[in-house]
Amino acid sequence: MTAGIPTSARVVSTARVGRRVWLPAATAFLLALGLAAAMAAPPDRLQGNLQRLMYVHVPAAWLAYLAFAVTFGASLAWLWRRRPGADRLAAASAEVGVFFTGLALVLGSVWGKPVWGVWWTWDPRLVTTALLFFVYLGYLALRRAVADPAVRARRAAVLGVVAFVQVPIVHLSVVWWRALHQPPTVLKPGDPTIDHAMLAALLVNVAAFTALYALLVARRLELARLQDEAERLLAEGEPPLAGAAVTPPRPEGMRDRG
Amino acid sequence: MRLERTAAVAGAGVLARHALEVAAKDLRVEVRSGEALPVIVPFGAAALLLLPVAVGADLPLLRQAGWGMFWVVVLLFGTLVTVRGTAVDAPAQRDLLALLGVDPAARFAGQTLASALLLVAFQALLAPVAVALYDPGLAGWRWLWPTVLLVAVGLAALGTLAGTLTAGLPARGTLAPLLVLPLSVPLLLAGTQVAAGAASGRSPVVWLLLLLAVDLVVVAAGVLAAGSVEETSR
Repeated sequence: MTAGIPTSARVVSTARVGRRVWLPAATAFLLALGLAAAMAAPPDRLQGNLQRLMYVHVPAAWLAYLAFAVTFGASLAWLWRRRPGADRLAAASAEVGVFFTGLALVLGSVWGKPVWGVWWTWDPRLVTTALLFFVYLGYLALRRAVADPAVRARRAAVLGVVAFVQVPIVHLSVVWWRALHQPPTVLKPGDPTIDHAMLAALLVNVAAFTALYALLVARRLELARLQDEAERLLAEGEPPLAGAAVTPPRPEGMRDRG
Repeated sequence: MRLERTAAVAGAGVLARHALEVAAKDLRVEVRSGEALPVIVPFGAAALLLLPVAVGADLPLLRQAGWGMFWVVVLLFGTLVTVRGTAVDAPAQRDLLALLGVDPAARFAGQTLASALLLVAFQALLAPVAVALYDPGLAGWRWLWPTVLLVAVGLAALGTLAGTLTAGLPARGTLAPLLVLPLSVPLLLAGTQVAAGAASGRSPVVWLLLLLAVDLVVVAAGVLAAGSVEETSR
């Protein structure tokens, strides 16, 4: 059946199919493992089962950092090498990052209502995270507003670099302003201040959500590549507009105002 | 080595001169068009007047929150000053400046300087309105001047960068403030904390240093990115 296909094409095709299968499979496996670990971990002494929200809230917040760091790196790479792939990666990662930032905010709010008694409080971590969400919404809005792909890539790359300054501010906000939100328990020097069984479950979930991030970004990249390809084909095959060859008469001596 | 240093000093001198020329040009355009101060100052003053209508005319509360409301209005309406239509050069103007050898970094610095001066004037006009309406404490008022200056520079740099990124877009009027506001929170925070610190007798130097650091980071980012952003307009 594949007799007519060159060996190199078959190898590429097999690799692509393999990639399409193993990443979703690994993600599904890790997510199932993460769910099992979150259920098996001991409940918190004070918060009970409500604390299990942490196994999604923390990975979502971690993915926001990761996604925006990838956008930052890809934006720098675009400014350096001007490769379309870097721009697509920056955009895809920012989209997924905005989703996970929103998820972290919503889950934090769901957890905060029974524990803190309010859906929202003016804690520096919450406020800076909400601002991070809006900064990257602005990034996505800028991308949508610019039609020309080259102009869009340049402007987005500059903003992708500048916007990243917000990420360390979010992370360090709990250190700079000691408020309601707890300080870092894992990403800090020294032994993590968390029960080790809980930490293991948390790390499994972080791995699972990171795989989910990779899957979503890979899918979004593929979609963006196909979109670019479709736009290119449409532009190439676009028939000339009726009357495009006709130019209006210009009186002698009249200057072009364009 | 000495020759290189002399060339670098001469280059910096040319850059500074070009930046001053661009700033003077922007200010002349503003004087002729009257877009920023004659329109946005009354708009900001109206906002200061409307806020107590929404939160209630509770005099002790207004006295306590007066400077905070002032800084919120400065950031919201100051953003409009920085992204005003006349602050963005048309493609033909940009091409002319490029042909004249004006570095994009000098253009960014000049536009930022012009916007910063307009923002200082904007704040100087709004501050008496806030004092009259809210009667906030004037203890430590001398700290207000460096704060006004540093907030003006930071907001001007952010606004200039956002204005350049959104130049020529139909949604520029709404998109540029969306880009500026979330990033300008350190300015709001430092502005309000300087006022609160001065009122309670604490030294607000740390907050002024934060403002200075934010200004340096934003101006450096704008100057470094100017070349890349410049290409977007071609």
